[in-house]
Amino acid sequence: MADQEREATKQAGALSRLWRWLRRPSGTTTVLTLLVVGFASGIVFWGGFNTVVEATNTMTFCVSCHEMRDNVYVEYKETIHYSNRTGVRATCSDCHVPRDWTHKMVRKVQATRELYGKVMGTIDTKEKFEAKRLHLARREWARMKSVDSRECRNCHGFEGMNTEAQKPRAKRAHELAQRDNETCIDCHKGIAHKKPEGMTEEDED
Amino acid sequence: MMDTSMNRLLTASALGVVLAGASVSALAAPPDWSKVPAKTITVFYPGVSPMEWITKGTEHGGARALRKGETCAGCHHDEAADMGKKMVSGQKIEPTPIKGKAGSIPVAVQAAHDGTNLYLRFVWKQPAGGAEKMDKDNQVKLGLMLEDNKIPGAALSGCWETCHGDARTMPGVKDDKKTKYVKDGSLTGGKFYDLLQWTSKGGKSDGYVADKRVMDGGKALAEARGEKKGDEWTVVFTRTLAGGGEGDIAMASGRTYNFGFAIHDDHAAGRFHHVSLGYSLGLDAKADVSAARQ
Repeated sequence: MADQEREATKQAGALSRLWRWLRRPSGTTTVLTLLVVGFASGIVFWGGFNTVVEATNTMTFCVSCHEMRDNVYVEYKETIHYSNRTGVRATCSDCHVPRDWTHKMVRKVQATRELYGKVMGTIDTKEKFEAKRLHLARREWARMKSVDSRECRNCHGFEGMNTEAQKPRAKRAHELAQRDNETCIDCHKGIAHKKPEGMTEEDED
Repeated sequence: MMDTSMNRLLTASALGVVLAGASVSALAAPPDWSKVPAKTITVFYPGVSPMEWITKGTEHGGARALRKGETCAGCHHDEAADMGKKMVSGQKIEPTPIKGKAGSIPVAVQAAHDGTNLYLRFVWKQPAGGAEKMDKDNQVKLGLMLEDNKIPGAALSGCWETCHGDARTMPGVKDDKKTKYVKDGSLTGGKFYDLLQWTSKGGKSDGYVADKRVMDGGKALAEARGEKKGDEWTVVFTRTLAGGGEGDIAMASGRTYNFGFAIHDDHAAGRFHHVSLGYSLGLDAKADVSAARQ
């Protein structure tokens, strides 16, 4: 018992010594050196952090999990967002991760829940994935709807849309959507992945 | 006395001439079609797309537009051929594609009237076929339906209002007697489609579709005549405006009606036809197809 107390006192002593050292003005290093080293370290640290975050935004990262690779990725590869006449590809993160820093960080923190799911194997078989697909899709539809399809609008927008160049069906639908203040995801569910089994008419409202 | 007799004779003669004129008018010949403008309407193979499908948002994206009051033709008129191709090949909503069947047929539609009769003319080129004969008696049938603005939705979806997933020849339907019908359809309530049909065997029918399809009872169809010259079919319907029979709508100048038609090509029966989207037919009135007085 005495040993433990001695050990705790020793640790507390080390922390307070470190704190005192940090607060003590430097007697040997110039302010310029401190600034340069601090600035350079900041760049390295920030760059490293950003690189890691961006690495988690790549399609390679997303499909490194078989849950994505064997299910939604296969479907996405058949769609226009994967392959099209202009060669512009929208990858997973373009649609599912906000582009601006603040919302991106919030989404990344939320996404740590997916690590728990991965460890617990909540969707690690085809059957489990299909059983959960509607629930997961509804959550993502709700997220997209709540932000007025922000990620779609990073590339698409009514402002730059020439409906005259569209097929009559698309032209009419986009005119009606603008009139009724609808957002992309209201109509474009299932544009990059198949629609989930059990989807109801309410889901399409 | 003599003068009076002469007068009577002259009056009777004049009356005879007038009556003769009237009877000529009743049997009026169709108009000079070369002077009547034609509208091209593409009929297409509809696969299994009954009313229940077109109104189901999870299957048909256009269900949303339909709910908002958009017509089927408003979105699909120009792409009917593409849609037909997808369905006839089995790429979409057709579990039993028929080999060699045409995806669509462009039809030149003309309409005119003379105050007594409405004349409707359909001209199209016979597409390739060769499928198993469902209707052995008729190589071709042409049916058309008219609706007098009583059925909600008829102005949007045309004949689809009568097309349901539980009707005969639809997948999984065992009942061979269940015809097309209008939901809550009623002859007395005016919620029906007036149905006219011509068959290549030489038959004509004047019926209606209310809570079920009935192929007779109408008195409006004076004549339905068709012929094939080379590979081109021409079918002309002569229908009295007044109607007057069971399931006949009464038509009048200045009004528009909902209109659609179907061709049972290559001995087809039941749902295996080519159909038009819903259009409007106007008598001296602006419409998708206008019948001007000749």
